[in-house]
Amino acid sequence: MDIELTINGETTTVEAGSEQDLATVLRQHGHIDVKCGCDGGTCGASKVFVDGDVRMACGMAATEAEGSDVQTVASLGTQDDLHPVQQAFVDNFAVQCGFCIPGMIVQATALLDENPDPTEREVREALDDNVCRCTGYQKPVEAVLDAAGRMREEGVAADGGRPIGGEPADDTAMGKPADAGGCCGGGCDE
Amino acid sequence: MSDDADTRANGNGAETDADGAETDGGTASQSDAAEDLAELEQYPFEWDEPANNDLAPGERDSVSQRAEKYDDRKLVTGQAKYTADYEERYPDLAYAAVVRSEIPHGRVTDIDASAAEAMDGVEAVLTPDSDAVPDAKYTSAGQSYPEPSPWDMHVLTEHVRYVGDPVAAIAAEDAETARAAADAVEVRYEEYDYVTDPEAAFDADAPQLFGDEEVENEIVGHDYDRNRMANIEGELGDPESAFEGDDVHVHETEWVTIRQSHANVEKHTSLAYRNEDDRHVLVTSTQVPNHTRRQLAHLFDIPIRDIRVKKPRVGGGFGGKQAMVVEPIPLALSLATDRPVLYEATREEEFYAMRSRHPMKVKAKTAVTDDGDIEAIDIYALSNTGAYGSHGMTVAGNVGSKPLPLYSKVPNVHFEADIVHTNTPQTGAMRGYGAPQGTLALEGHLDEVARDLDLDPVEFRQRHYMEVGDLDEIAGMMGGEGAKRRIRSCGLDECIERGKEAIGWDAIEQPDEDHLHRGVGMALSAQGTGVAGDELGAAQLMMNEDGSFHLQVGGVDIGTGADTAFLQIAAEVLGCDEDQIVVRSSDTDVTPFDYGAYASSTTYISGMAVKKAAEDAKERILEWGARMLDEPVADLDTGDGAVYSEATGDSVTLEDIGYEAAYGDEEREHILGKGTHCTEESPPPFAAQFVDVTVDEETGEFDVHKLAVAVDCGVAINPGMAEGQVEGANHMSYELAVSEGITLDDQGRAEVSDFDEYHLPSATETPPIESILVETHEPTGPFGAKSVAEVPTNTVPPALSNAVRDAVGVRIQEMPITAAKIREKLDER
Repeated sequence: MDIELTINGETTTVEAGSEQDLATVLRQHGHIDVKCGCDGGTCGASKVFVDGDVRMACGMAATEAEGSDVQTVASLGTQDDLHPVQQAFVDNFAVQCGFCIPGMIVQATALLDENPDPTEREVREALDDNVCRCTGYQKPVEAVLDAAGRMREEGVAADGGRPIGGEPADDTAMGKPADAGGCCGGGCDE
Repeated sequence: MSDDADTRANGNGAETDADGAETDGGTASQSDAAEDLAELEQYPFEWDEPANNDLAPGERDSVSQRAEKYDDRKLVTGQAKYTADYEERYPDLAYAAVVRSEIPHGRVTDIDASAAEAMDGVEAVLTPDSDAVPDAKYTSAGQSYPEPSPWDMHVLTEHVRYVGDPVAAIAAEDAETARAAADAVEVRYEEYDYVTDPEAAFDADAPQLFGDEEVENEIVGHDYDRNRMANIEGELGDPESAFEGDDVHVHETEWVTIRQSHANVEKHTSLAYRNEDDRHVLVTSTQVPNHTRRQLAHLFDIPIRDIRVKKPRVGGGFGGKQAMVVEPIPLALSLATDRPVLYEATREEEFYAMRSRHPMKVKAKTAVTDDGDIEAIDIYALSNTGAYGSHGMTVAGNVGSKPLPLYSKVPNVHFEADIVHTNTPQTGAMRGYGAPQGTLALEGHLDEVARDLDLDPVEFRQRHYMEVGDLDEIAGMMGGEGAKRRIRSCGLDECIERGKEAIGWDAIEQPDEDHLHRGVGMALSAQGTGVAGDELGAAQLMMNEDGSFHLQVGGVDIGTGADTAFLQIAAEVLGCDEDQIVVRSSDTDVTPFDYGAYASSTTYISGMAVKKAAEDAKERILEWGARMLDEPVADLDTGDGAVYSEATGDSVTLEDIGYEAAYGDEEREHILGKGTHCTEESPPPFAAQFVDVTVDEETGEFDVHKLAVAVDCGVAINPGMAEGQVEGANHMSYELAVSEGITLDDQGRAEVSDFDEYHLPSATETPPIESILVETHEPTGPFGAKSVAEVPTNTVPPALSNAVRDAVGVRIQEMPITAAKIREKLDER
């Protein structure tokens, strides 16, 4: 069936099977920043904002998102203009393989929106259902606390100044070229 | 432990003992002066290190700086591409699903695929008899060649040996249809007796998993009548006599470890297609692109040149992808359908049908004098390799060959392992690679001995452990890899000092409540840096006319930051910023050869290849600089993006050199550098782990306040990334200490199907981890580096067991450590 929803500020109609989860449908429409590491709704990698609430996109039916405003990590910042939470993850070496990171950054951003000055314990509680195998959570927790400090100092809204569910961020990177060198760095046969 | 064929020839017990006695002439302490001199020459302490390899901290522009991880910006914005993200490039992509055995042991008698084949959108159903499915036996282990794992598997099998063995494969228009079709395939079996317990499997009357004709490339010590895929043994000195001495205390302890899942968040994912040149391309989430290419060529009888393995971003490996776990499935399906095929394992398959850490029972035995001298150590491991033998022998070897060399002053050492099949899920390589199991046994055991003999546990270790200048004979006592190694860097003293300080070792305050008791525990560990004498890395550097570079390197970044370390190493040599270099890693058509990301080798081996490539290019750059500045090369060096003269202060930019070299009037040259690196060396990195715990003696419940771990990794190429490796490894180690891992039912079926059933310590359940980098200089490594990412995986189980012992006086030897076990032991007192 066709469902209408807004993805990163752009209203669109997508086709979705009745059984299909939202992560699969978003990915089929090019939003590869939505990851899934489980069999549905347990690892947190697919976290997105649905009408401002954090949801695991692979754990909800796409049809449930009919009429919703969906925002993925790509709506927060671009490679040239990172959101403070993204910047803090980079600066604190909180990223290794990076697969869980989109969901973790979405969750961290939601936390700081509600609680701009969290304790370490509160950060750990917020990230509790985000599975990360690489970091032991130490540097991600440090990154979120660092981001909180920076945002308080700079007076940045938790969404990086872009209203959640508001106007589209103009350069949400979906059209950006991927890896430098394309698919294979010069030996391409495609 | 060796990954090479020599081990199979030399690794067998009695033979090695005899050979060892002849060739090694006993232990270092028993050698005479002439032998000492000969060994000094053969394993010299002095290392012919290039001057540019040993830079004081102030001389380093790129190395040991906290340079931004080069792929982070695309990772935090979600723009990085992993294998599944290549889906959109292939409009005619088909999706794979696998039918897996539902019984623990038996033979497939019939596969009825008619219902599946009749479904709309199903493109192919492959069974063991299908033309596209190879008949050949193979091992999934991604290791060197000849392979030190037995060829005991088939891509699709008729003889199923565990719940999860692949029986049939489907390709369909979409993933949902493929899975529905897999469910619709009906498989009938003749059921066999099965065995899930390794001790029972080792019994002569146990059901047998492999018949005589079912394995090729068998491993030393195999005895399939008793389900044993290998037996290995090594010895130094005369441990038997030492244990019988009148003046020694003999202690024996036994330790049990869990079946741990790699739990890589990106599942095993692989995409295969045939391109317009009739060549086969795999985009795949792997740690071993070159090994995978060789294995696929063997299995499908396709020339190596006609297979291309490309590694995009990889969402974690931890050893689980040091294997060709899934690649044959999409390749066979693409051959059958002539379409590109994507196979992405489900999370349930990750737990029951991919790989896991070998569960083991390890016995430790020592002979110690009244004065606290360790006269002998003996370790025995019974390793459960599950249904197949991939990495079985080599992992078990590391149970001894990694932890035992820590105590290089001990004169008499014995190690033996039996590696046994059961009808349980497959095991494989996993971060630490046997060292966590051996370290638990050795470090827990030594703590118990120290307590029993009233010795300080730290001082007791310090009296026996490695020092700079030692000749380590233990790492190689089972033959194979570099039989002996000279220790040229060791920061154990400082690791202990700083770890103690971080945990507050000498100033632990007891809680006010009488039933709460606080304790601290510690453990040491050593690993290796690559497989000694069995590694190869290579790199190529091309200069562009604007003075920038392309670095092509076979070393495999699986999320560790290896690509960034390569950039820092190259930039340090070339005297430019890292962002002037574009790195491309791991595409077998494009990047030079590499063994892959395992054995803690990437920075050391592939990084040294990068350094050599950069030096090769630099030589040409200086030639061009000399010509353009009209000064001798000897006066020139690179720095700040230019070639400058130390004599005159004149300089010419790399950009000017690039344009001149590419477009000059008289002579032109594409400035290229190449580097290839192999070595007999495998210097150990070291870790000192400290744990602070409070135990409730009424309930057994415990609270780990902090993990502190100090690691000597030589010079950290990027301290931020190195700390991340240490913390992630320590989290994995903590899981080994406190979690159940993959539990199995009576039929060996995994009881865990998704993350909500697998107890990976979450953010709130993980204690704060303080990582401490202790810098030493390893002259054999690039800019003094050795490995970092495995050694902190080994240490939390013994350190926590020791801390609980310190707190309430009970000893937990069977992992995981739980409140119930502590309470039970407390009740026994």
